[in-house]
Amino acid sequence: MRTRPTTRVLQYVAVLAYLVFLGFPLLWLISSSLKSPQEFASITPSILPKHVEFSNYSDALTEQGLIRGLGNSLQISIYSTILVLIVALPVSYALARFRSRLRPLTNGWILVSQVFPVILIVIPLFMILRPLHLTNTIPGVVIVYMVWSLPFALWMLQGYVAAVPRELEEAASVDGASRLRTIVSIVMPLLRPGLIATAMFTFISAWNEFFFALVLLQDPQLKTLPLVLARFVGAEGQVQFGPLAAASVLATVPSLVFFAFLQRRLTSGLLSGAVKG
Amino acid sequence: MMKKVMTALLAVGALVTLAACGGNSNDNNSSGSGSSNEKVTLKFQSLAFQKSTVAATKKIVDDWNAANPNIQVEYVQGSWDSVHDQLVTQFQGGTAPDIIHDESADITGFINQGYLADLSPYLSQQTKDAVSQGVWDTTSKDGKIYGAPTLLQSYVVFGNTALLKAAGVNATGDSLSWDDFAADAKKLTKPGKFGLGWGLKSPTATMLNLGLNFDAKYFEGSGQDAKATVGDAELEVPKRIHAMAYDDKSIDPTSLTLGGTDVLPGFYAGKYAMIVAGNYVAQQILSEAPKGFQWEVLPPLKGTSTKQAANPQTLSVPAEGKHIEQSAKFIDFFMKAENLAAVGQGDQLIPSTQAARDAIQKATGGKNGWQQTLASGTELTKAPFQSVDNYPKWKDQIATPAFQEFLANKTDLATLGKKLSDGWGQVNN
Repeated sequence: MRTRPTTRVLQYVAVLAYLVFLGFPLLWLISSSLKSPQEFASITPSILPKHVEFSNYSDALTEQGLIRGLGNSLQISIYSTILVLIVALPVSYALARFRSRLRPLTNGWILVSQVFPVILIVIPLFMILRPLHLTNTIPGVVIVYMVWSLPFALWMLQGYVAAVPRELEEAASVDGASRLRTIVSIVMPLLRPGLIATAMFTFISAWNEFFFALVLLQDPQLKTLPLVLARFVGAEGQVQFGPLAAASVLATVPSLVFFAFLQRRLTSGLLSGAVKG
Repeated sequence: MMKKVMTALLAVGALVTLAACGGNSNDNNSSGSGSSNEKVTLKFQSLAFQKSTVAATKKIVDDWNAANPNIQVEYVQGSWDSVHDQLVTQFQGGTAPDIIHDESADITGFINQGYLADLSPYLSQQTKDAVSQGVWDTTSKDGKIYGAPTLLQSYVVFGNTALLKAAGVNATGDSLSWDDFAADAKKLTKPGKFGLGWGLKSPTATMLNLGLNFDAKYFEGSGQDAKATVGDAELEVPKRIHAMAYDDKSIDPTSLTLGGTDVLPGFYAGKYAMIVAGNYVAQQILSEAPKGFQWEVLPPLKGTSTKQAANPQTLSVPAEGKHIEQSAKFIDFFMKAENLAAVGQGDQLIPSTQAARDAIQKATGGKNGWQQTLASGTELTKAPFQSVDNYPKWKDQIATPAFQEFLANKTDLATLGKKLSDGWGQVNN
């Protein structure tokens, strides 16, 4: 069936509007990172800077330890993501495939765990981690992020596992494959889009997290990127807008690279034609 | 291929877990029992924000470290934005820094909860004598000192020099009465331009601070037993601001919905001839005002007095700190006139000691508004609301919305008074 020209035009307009909606904040951020303090204080702000200033970038890089913060955030986010995937994959498979009375309970617990506000659990968490010598360490933060992201990751992956036809596993079983072999050779390749989506979610959660890092990390050498960015805000609402915008642009780059690298692998359609209807 | 990936993932996971179990915590890098003779390293979390203040603070630390090889201080950069939540957790876990930078309004709760050490046995008499009693009162309880007050802010009137001159407004002298202030604002109001822009999006702090100009108390008593008292004195400042906005029409009413520093672009553009803001805004004006923009700070506002509430930045020590005496010694060093003058000048804030204020006056010659700014700092004192436990709750839930409605011309003065008074009963039970 051919699409009408009018419909096609409307589709393009909708896509363009969506792109503007998504892209404008980034454009504004980049533009702001190149503005002088005088331009920020202008009563008629312009979208593009009148005079391009790179000093915000040098300030952002030299003053607050941005590079170290980037490194710490990258390290923590990658470790958290890997650990979440290692734990979530078998658990979500079990939840999706095995019928038991515990399943609704487990799912209920996962749901309930999402409604606790961070502020409620941060002090008990701190008291638990301290005797284990895990406060003020990167592994401590990694473990916390892993536990924090796991419930949602399980929810996500469960759905993906459920979408894999059981007939494929049965066929593998008939061919003599063990349960583990079936998961590794049959289920995992089909779950790739789901694993990537879960990885993205976990990575971004860890990358952007502020409060746990604030409380758990006191050593300046271990501060993550959100903590570094917070230093551009002073008392009484004073903000160093230029350096903050520049630091935010630099902070966005690794996320964009991570997404660009993974989104090409977010292919669907792997399952089409896998089983006869 | 997939097997290799799985193996690699498991290996990385195992490594991270092992590293976690063997994590070396730096919870306490100080050692020993705290006797004066052994070598200790103290963590000083500073909230210095401006480049020049950070540099001045680091210099103080370096000077101290050079002179005190046995008591080394490590500078840790903190952030105003998150210091309260951070400290709450660290006090609970016993991992607070050895020297804490905060402000008196925030440490009041910590004092009541017993988290802070009494510094009075350790601070020198020279330091105690250098700060006025009214300011010490903001960081003390039952005769004990829980924080050394370093820098203060006051509310001042900034003026566009060219517009003031053009209108023949010449505010000189030791103070500026509220009546003259209103008359000047009226004189400066022209078609499309206003005499005054005032960012009062968060009005409560301004109303209660400047309220002291007319001896406004708002509260009697302290702690949980405090009672709200809202009468003519308490309603004087809101009444005058309202009259300027809606009777004289000399305040831009839209500016009343802006944040404290959001009025600056309008100030630079000549939309407002004057603004009222914290004196630290001078720092921002210096760094971002258009080239050639001439500005000045007018004399301190005066009702029955020029008094304003003092909410100084503070240096404190955790009650559970292992090196309270050494930390207090460093604080005492920080309180020296030349040190306070250096950090005060960087942040354009008022030092708590007269000697430091004199040093700034000498160094700056009173330029860039320092003359009037320093004058506005002499009568800063503790206000009754600073002794009230549930003040933050009352401020957020009752006072701020009530003031906002009044400033938006939606309620009258009597209703405002009733809301402020009755609201206290709602939040303090």
